[in-house]
Amino acid sequence: MFDSIIDPTLGRAADPDRGRAALAARPASLSGLRLGLLANTKRNAEQFLAEVGMLLTERHGVTTVVARKKPDITSTAPEPILDDLRAWCDVVVVGVGDCGSCSASAVADGIILEQSGLPAVVVCTDAFTASADAMAGLRGAPGYRYLTVPHPMANLTPDGVRERAAAAVPGIVGMLTRRAMAAAP
Amino acid sequence: MTTPPPDLAEHAADSVEQAKAVIEYCYDQGWTDGLPVVPATRSGVEQFLATTDRGAEEIIGSAPHLGRSITVAQAAANAIMAGCKPEYFPVVLAAWEAVNLERSARGAWQSTSGPSPLIVVNGPVRISLEINYQGGVFGPGFRANATIARAIGLIVRNGYGIRPQELEQATQGLPGRWSVCLGENEELSPWEPFSVVGGVDPGVDAVSAVLIRTCEYVDNRGTDSPEAVLADFADTLARLGAYVGGAHSSGGLVLGPEHAQLFGRHGYSRGDVQQWLFEHAVRDHADLVAAGKADAPVSEPAQAGTSFPMMPSATDIPILVAGAANAAMSMVFRPFGWAPWSGRSVPVAWSRALTEV
Repeated sequence: MFDSIIDPTLGRAADPDRGRAALAARPASLSGLRLGLLANTKRNAEQFLAEVGMLLTERHGVTTVVARKKPDITSTAPEPILDDLRAWCDVVVVGVGDCGSCSASAVADGIILEQSGLPAVVVCTDAFTASADAMAGLRGAPGYRYLTVPHPMANLTPDGVRERAAAAVPGIVGMLTRRAMAAAP
Repeated sequence: MTTPPPDLAEHAADSVEQAKAVIEYCYDQGWTDGLPVVPATRSGVEQFLATTDRGAEEIIGSAPHLGRSITVAQAAANAIMAGCKPEYFPVVLAAWEAVNLERSARGAWQSTSGPSPLIVVNGPVRISLEINYQGGVFGPGFRANATIARAIGLIVRNGYGIRPQELEQATQGLPGRWSVCLGENEELSPWEPFSVVGGVDPGVDAVSAVLIRTCEYVDNRGTDSPEAVLADFADTLARLGAYVGGAHSSGGLVLGPEHAQLFGRHGYSRGDVQQWLFEHAVRDHADLVAAGKADAPVSEPAQAGTSFPMMPSATDIPILVAGAANAAMSMVFRPFGWAPWSGRSVPVAWSRALTEV
């Protein structure tokens, strides 16, 4: 029906936007593993992840922590940063998706790391799930699960950030170790 | 809820009913911005492509983080859907290029700020394509202005797949998003065309673009003093609500011809107006404290007890002239983000076949 209408959403046939992403296999626990933290430039993102790293070290046996910060909230992390994480880490926590474009790009970072074989948990605030979900679909991982924390993050005090991180740790551990992480069919 | 498939047998004899069914089909595909679109066909795209020497498959925009890129042919399809005539297409391509010169453009379409391009056209093309530059210049009512601006919005929506409440996360957006394309009223401007500021020779068709968050009117018909009018502009430019943290705010002017000519009569160049506004659009640090913005998430611009300029620099206050000379009012616009206007206008490139006719 109406076959002569041109679909305005289609660019070049070779656009790699409609594939299916494979997610990484999960370890049984975090004990003895190397943790990567991939922060963006949103306020409190680095502090939140640093606290998560400390708690995972203290309570869950993570041995080393590699922290990286990407320079641009809109884009996925640059290759050198991704290469560092691939080389030096066993699992990665990405965050914090706390705006329209950075929640989507955080999910994209997570899926890219998963495709490299690294289990990754993406942390977004709950105001931006629509944007995060849309990116997951676009990246070939519809239904990709990420961890939501209450919005907003940017206005928290240092104590507030620590509380938020402590509350998120059980979810992070679960998503890094649970098999049910895979994308919906 | 989707519309049931049109019953073509029932409508086969009625071409108007057929046309309505096609419009509904486009809605059901999620291709529209809420208003009806004109269906794009292969022959339509070919007509549009004939106006440019660029290749159909040439990539003119990409969003690597989305895995999407946009071709010339795809832009043509979206321009058709927006209601453009084929001869508008070179202006659409120049507008798209101008938009993408903006440093803030890359993240803009997904931003909570929900910015929109302010597109400015200079040169004889304003006359030949009937691009309004006089009364009611912000629209609506003029096909070229309305559809060229709308085409940019449909390219973003359909080309990048950035739709509201999905990848697009505008908190409120702004009135007139994807609908503002102005001709500059060069005839009533006391200064050189805006595109000349943007580096293009006078008399050459050119398009400029700034991403903006809104426009605010300044109505001042009561004085012949240019400084009084400038002070009125400076007050709006320095408005605290528009300041989002960082070293400065942002602002530009679409002057109504009466204000522009008042400045011209009193010997003010465009640069003089910019310099005056830069020096006078200032706030005290105490104002930020009172508004709870002194500890904004990004660095604050001044120390306690001091004043600071709200504009980044004199030259980073873009100023153009548009509208009718029937009342002394102007518009302040707010560039999105901290990056000022690129300062570069894009010449309109017509196909050799067209220019040789």
